[in-house]
Amino acid sequence: MKKEKETYQNRIELLQGTLDMLILQTLQWGAQHGYGISQALRSRSSEVLQVETGSLYPALHRMERYKWIAADWRKTEQNQRARYYRITAEGRRQLASERTRWSGMVEAIASILEA
Amino acid sequence: MSLWRRIFRMDARKSDLDDEMETHRRMAMADRVARGEPEDAARAAVEHEMGNLALARDVTREAWGWVWLEWLLQDVRYALRQMKRSRGFAATVIGTLALGIGAATAMFTVVDHVLLRQLPYKDAEQLVVMSEHGNDPRFNNGASWLDLAQWRAASHSFEDLAFWNGMEGRSYVTGGTGSALQINGLQVSPNLFALLGAKPALGPGFIAEPPGFGAVKNTGSIVLSHTVWETAFAGNKGIIGSKIRINDTPYTVVGVMPTGFQFPYDNYPAGQVWVVQQLSDSDKKLGYDESFYSVIGRLRSGVTLKAAQAEMATIQEQVIQRYTDPQWRADRIDVSVQRYGNTLVNADIRKALLALLAAAGVLWLIASVNVTNLLLARSTARQREIAMRGALGASRGRVLQQMMVEGLVLSGCASVLGIALALVAVRVTGSVASTRLNVDFSTHLNGTILGALCGLTLVSALLSCTWPAWLAVRAPIEPALKQGGQQTGAGRRHNRMRSGLVAVEVAMSLTLLVACGLLLRTIYTLRHVPLGYRTDHIVVANLSIPTYRYTDKNVATTLYQPLLERVQHLHGVQMAGMMSEVPLGQTFNIMLTLSMNGRMVAAGLKPVTPQIQRIFGFPMIAGRFFDDQDTPTSEPVLVVNPAFSREYAPDKHDPQSILGTEVWSLKKGAPKARVIGVMDDQRQRTIDSPSQPEVEVCLCQLTTSTNLYQPSTIAMDLAVRTRMPTSEMIPEIRAALKQASPELANSTFSTMDQIVEDSYGSQRLAAHLLEIFGGSALLLCVAGLYGLLAYVVSQRTRELGVRIALGAQRSDLSRLVLRQAGTMLLIGVAVGTGLAWASARLLRGFLYGVQAHDGWTMASAALLLFLCGMLAAYVPARRAARVNPMEALRSE
Repeated sequence: MKKEKETYQNRIELLQGTLDMLILQTLQWGAQHGYGISQALRSRSSEVLQVETGSLYPALHRMERYKWIAADWRKTEQNQRARYYRITAEGRRQLASERTRWSGMVEAIASILEA
Repeated sequence: MSLWRRIFRMDARKSDLDDEMETHRRMAMADRVARGEPEDAARAAVEHEMGNLALARDVTREAWGWVWLEWLLQDVRYALRQMKRSRGFAATVIGTLALGIGAATAMFTVVDHVLLRQLPYKDAEQLVVMSEHGNDPRFNNGASWLDLAQWRAASHSFEDLAFWNGMEGRSYVTGGTGSALQINGLQVSPNLFALLGAKPALGPGFIAEPPGFGAVKNTGSIVLSHTVWETAFAGNKGIIGSKIRINDTPYTVVGVMPTGFQFPYDNYPAGQVWVVQQLSDSDKKLGYDESFYSVIGRLRSGVTLKAAQAEMATIQEQVIQRYTDPQWRADRIDVSVQRYGNTLVNADIRKALLALLAAAGVLWLIASVNVTNLLLARSTARQREIAMRGALGASRGRVLQQMMVEGLVLSGCASVLGIALALVAVRVTGSVASTRLNVDFSTHLNGTILGALCGLTLVSALLSCTWPAWLAVRAPIEPALKQGGQQTGAGRRHNRMRSGLVAVEVAMSLTLLVACGLLLRTIYTLRHVPLGYRTDHIVVANLSIPTYRYTDKNVATTLYQPLLERVQHLHGVQMAGMMSEVPLGQTFNIMLTLSMNGRMVAAGLKPVTPQIQRIFGFPMIAGRFFDDQDTPTSEPVLVVNPAFSREYAPDKHDPQSILGTEVWSLKKGAPKARVIGVMDDQRQRTIDSPSQPEVEVCLCQLTTSTNLYQPSTIAMDLAVRTRMPTSEMIPEIRAALKQASPELANSTFSTMDQIVEDSYGSQRLAAHLLEIFGGSALLLCVAGLYGLLAYVVSQRTRELGVRIALGAQRSDLSRLVLRQAGTMLLIGVAVGTGLAWASARLLRGFLYGVQAHDGWTMASAALLLFLCGMLAAYVPARRAARVNPMEALRSE
């Protein structure tokens, strides 16, 4: 498992890593299902970010496997069965480290652009 | 998560994922409808938004991390479906591989039992045996008490040394029920068990008194093996401390060893007992009467065999200073130190087994090559299917994996069948092998063998599948789809490779066939060696003589004479006689080296009764055999064999001239015994070695005062010529023996015909196995050749049709096919002759009456292979000639 994780992390590209971070951030505000997550990302980015189903669900399932998030089936307000994801303690730690990395990168890019 | 739980949960999770995505879709729909979009437009928009759902699902599943398992299961299911669809093909592949795997596993089982066996001792590889020897290390002497005590005191290479020796004569558990069980009785040093790292399962065992290893606290004590404890004492747990009798001597039982423990490791079926060897000052002598002990030691960890050997050589230089007799000193000039495990199998058998294992390996290779060929043919036929999968988006790796899984499934099935074959083979040959090889085959399977089987399965699959799979995957997709038919461009290259493979098969088969031929000729020659005596209608009993009863009695008059009379009067017996060892008996031989008229004479000695000459029909070359006139009181006489007269007669070419020669005196002060006859006894020990000088002495003239030889200490064979079938005689004779003395019921019976048959021994076993291997190889090879040609002809139907249409004769067409077959066969035979030439060296030790590089055998094997091959080619050749040009051209 450890090894897989390492290869996974080596594979991280900006966008993918960012997507994981964004999902984790969204889940900070409470458990949510896949559709809810995609809607939240969309509205909070003022419709700029459109997460494709083909990226969202693999990301969710992958993070579930890494135990950054946990999932269970619940009823929605409209009384529909949906799979809700919530962030775990390990997920929070991961989020924190991703945020640090992100802000470091933003600063670095900014200093290059402003130089 | 365990594999099985994953498999069970997989389906549940799959439908979970479907549900999850469906929910997503529905929510998106509901949102859009709530915003006022018409339902149709909303559905279209959502579908557009969500994209390729199937792909999304697949990618998500990959994120679970065990999609490989799913693929694997898919491939296995697919492989099974393929097998069901083409049963004939699957059966051929499985049968072929099973033959190869079965043969290899069977041979490996034997090798594992004989050469790789785990000895039942702690760290058995540290155990070494030591013996003193002269210039020829094959004749070793054991060691006297004084010598081994000095070894023990002076050496630093060993943790400890222990010794053992067989009890004198045969050993029986006596007393109690009246029957006497013959067991293997050993005298051992009290520290032996500790050195072996073995503890009794019951009782305290021997308690060695430090510091010496000759002293012991509980004297007169005995340890029983598990087998003896069970058979003779019914597994009585209260036996510790009670007295039992071995050869009428009482011993106190101090231990019962755990099941399976034996030492020495010789699989004596009735079990062993160990008594403590009591050593006293009288053992501290160096004389002809001294006992010599076998010595076992445990190397200190880190000490190499070489280092131990070097140390012992230095110590031995001191040891031999004690010996004043130059001959004695020369006989002990050196000490050999060998790992105990290596001394248990003699070098000939080791070589034989390894050669046979190699032969089985070759058969397995042939089978694998054959399967490669079959799979190549099949992958050509499946080109379209593979191309279609490629076109639908399967990656090369994925298709490769699928084809490898197919190969594994096939070879897995073959392994199951193969191990069944192997078990049957080992059971059938096991009874022959276990007596020859001194091995217990009762436990067939163990980890090593199963591991080897798994290895074989895997390697078979890799060997036979990789190439076809790789070619199939690499083939370009487009032409295969475009042309669609069976005649595609890659065909020609494929065929050349397949021809190469058939040639390889032919070459390897020829090697096996030549080996088989050489052994068959050996067996044939052995069977036609004139024995010089009759073997029919003779029952032989190797008497189990209770030596301890006759130590002070004249065994000839008290046991042998009455016994012979009793047997003589049984119904159906024509004549009964005794001989210390019947020809080829391999039970016991007595070698004497004595001075005759100032000249050293070395000869075998065989005490016999007068009837023996007529029972076996030994021809007399000169003089007479013993008769009733020869009594204990009459003049001592001897009969010699031609080898003796050739060696020691005044005129070497005239056996008559030895008559009257005075050889030895049978007892001190008596006149020397005179030679009265020369009896022809070809082939006394083995058929393939010439007779050695031998002297027969009349049994009745050997008495307790004889110093030449004490008849009571030996083995004696009873030979009975009968009118009745030998199988009916044996129980009657056994009953008569038991009446004479209960111990004699342990005697082993055989017939002279059987003894001769048994003497072919390892050659016969090897010949039988090689017959099977060679026959299978021939079959596989012919099948491979036929398969290839039949395929080629069916593939070239159109071309053949065109040729006929253009005016080719039908005979030209069959010649075309036969020429191809001939080329493959000739190349194969040429390479195979080289291989056979190189490998025949391995067989040299087994051959008799035929050279390892016998031209006739090679030529006949090559011819046989060539003819069988051409015969196999004839069928496709005829089919080629019968091609109907109209049909052939229309079929496209």
